[in-house]
Amino acid sequence: MSLRIVVCAKEVLDPDAVNNYALEGRLVIGDDGKSLTQSSIPRLMNAYDEQAIEAALRVREAGVPCTIAVVSVGEGQDILKHAASLGIDEPVAIHADAASLDHHGVARLLAAFVRSRGGADLVLCGRQASDDDQGVVPALVAEHLGLPVVTIARSVDVTAAGDGFAVRVVRVTPDGDETVAVPAPVVVTISNELGQARYPTMAGRMAARKKKVAVVTPAELGVAPEALRPRITLAKQFVPTVKGACEMIGGGADEAAAALLARLRAENVLR
Amino acid sequence: MSRVVVCTWGTSGGAEELLTLARGVAAGLEATLGWVVLGPAPHDVTAIASRQDVPVVDHIEHEKLQSFGGDVAVAALADYVRQHDFRVLLVPQTFDARLLAPRLAARIDAGVVMNGLGVVVEGGALAVTASAYGGDTRVVYTLAGEGRFVIGVATSALAAEPAPNPATAVTRHCAVDLAAVEERVQVVTRSEQTGPRIEEADVLVAGGRGLGEKANYRLVEELAEALGGMAAASRPIVDEGWAEPARQVGLTGKITRPTLYIAAGISGASQHMVGCAAAKTLVAINRDPEAAIFRYARYGIVGDCLEILPALTRAVKG
Repeated sequence: MSLRIVVCAKEVLDPDAVNNYALEGRLVIGDDGKSLTQSSIPRLMNAYDEQAIEAALRVREAGVPCTIAVVSVGEGQDILKHAASLGIDEPVAIHADAASLDHHGVARLLAAFVRSRGGADLVLCGRQASDDDQGVVPALVAEHLGLPVVTIARSVDVTAAGDGFAVRVVRVTPDGDETVAVPAPVVVTISNELGQARYPTMAGRMAARKKKVAVVTPAELGVAPEALRPRITLAKQFVPTVKGACEMIGGGADEAAAALLARLRAENVLR
Repeated sequence: MSRVVVCTWGTSGGAEELLTLARGVAAGLEATLGWVVLGPAPHDVTAIASRQDVPVVDHIEHEKLQSFGGDVAVAALADYVRQHDFRVLLVPQTFDARLLAPRLAARIDAGVVMNGLGVVVEGGALAVTASAYGGDTRVVYTLAGEGRFVIGVATSALAAEPAPNPATAVTRHCAVDLAAVEERVQVVTRSEQTGPRIEEADVLVAGGRGLGEKANYRLVEELAEALGGMAAASRPIVDEGWAEPARQVGLTGKITRPTLYIAAGISGASQHMVGCAAAKTLVAINRDPEAAIFRYARYGIVGDCLEILPALTRAVKG
């Protein structure tokens, strides 16, 4: 009996490149008033989703027989080629215009994909996408499939239990780590605390070249266009202006310390 | 008449700020303002509701809500909504809310938006301003149609203002049917934090990579103690094990709201700033005069935090 894993992945603009532009004050919004159009910002797989693939590969390496499918909604296939080079079994593109969908539409398609395969034992997702940071799709998918969902995982362990599988997850919470147990099937979201995701090997790259990305359409998944009509649309994006009213305090360490305290006391920040 | 409802559980932290925001949304939609409390109610609910002109506080009570997990919470709220519908449900965006809000939305077929910083009504339509790219950009979402929406709001950026006409709030007890609901996810070992919490501290001294090594975190703790505050940390040094996870400030840590926040050896990545931007006064100490943190700071000292921190501790002790 083999564990059926589905990993959900999204293509995003490189958040580090966006952050560098932002720190330099050079981040530009395109003419439509809502897109980041600087062509020097690369597109790549959401890093949290890459870590979800890593989590799946670690489950396999721990000795659990698995099939690992990676599914993405959108027209681009580069991230799926990347996924294939990491050694997953099945890269699948759901052919749709991702920009015209909201998270509800994406979640409906992902859930329909899982259902079309007769279900999955473990659905892994990144904790959030690094572009919009919404982090709602995994919970929506879980609800559509009627599955429990465990968020912000540092590690995922799977063991055979009776006819199925038992899943143990260490979650990263603001108060420290929490360990939870849940029977499969379950949706788990992966956080960066899982650790560095692997890079493709040369052999992996070669093998991926031969692997074909399967393409399915919403219609093939039984999702009607009206079910994909967005309720939430991006109207505008802008770069927030930072106050930037910092008063620099100079002098040696003791001098600066005294001057700072004097100001904080004068403003009643400190007594 | 449709309703705009604030939903809280556990503490009432952020509730008053969110009710102030919700009052404006309710006025824009010509809706009534409500507040629903899930599980044991904090002692100050009636006082806050009265100040914020909430005539009725709904209290969802059930023995399974004494302490609860996601399955029970979602089922309880879904059953409540069947009895008392709403147009907009606003939740303070806590760690748990990030999971509960989308689950509830899917369960009751509502639209969901998280990371909200502001919600307004423009020409009868809802618009939510939210943070994106780890705080590097803001996005404005338009919420279409007449359906329900669940919106998670980061309350640390909001201010509470009393209503011009306070109400005398009354409590309405709402029964929910949870007979068939059991938690599917079992907690094996719980994260237990005892003692004071950084999100409630008035003064925070936070250290980052600029401290150089674990032993130097002591300098942060000493200044924090001298100021009667608490020591906090950036994510990289928590990952390195220099400080405890409970002290981590930022997107993956805690959202704090102190009067004074002193950031020592922290560059000011937007992920960190999410957790301290609401500080009333932010002081930055960094060797790099170009560090992003200075753009957010009220006062800045360019220098080695290993020298500045002890100097500050000495000066505070006088």
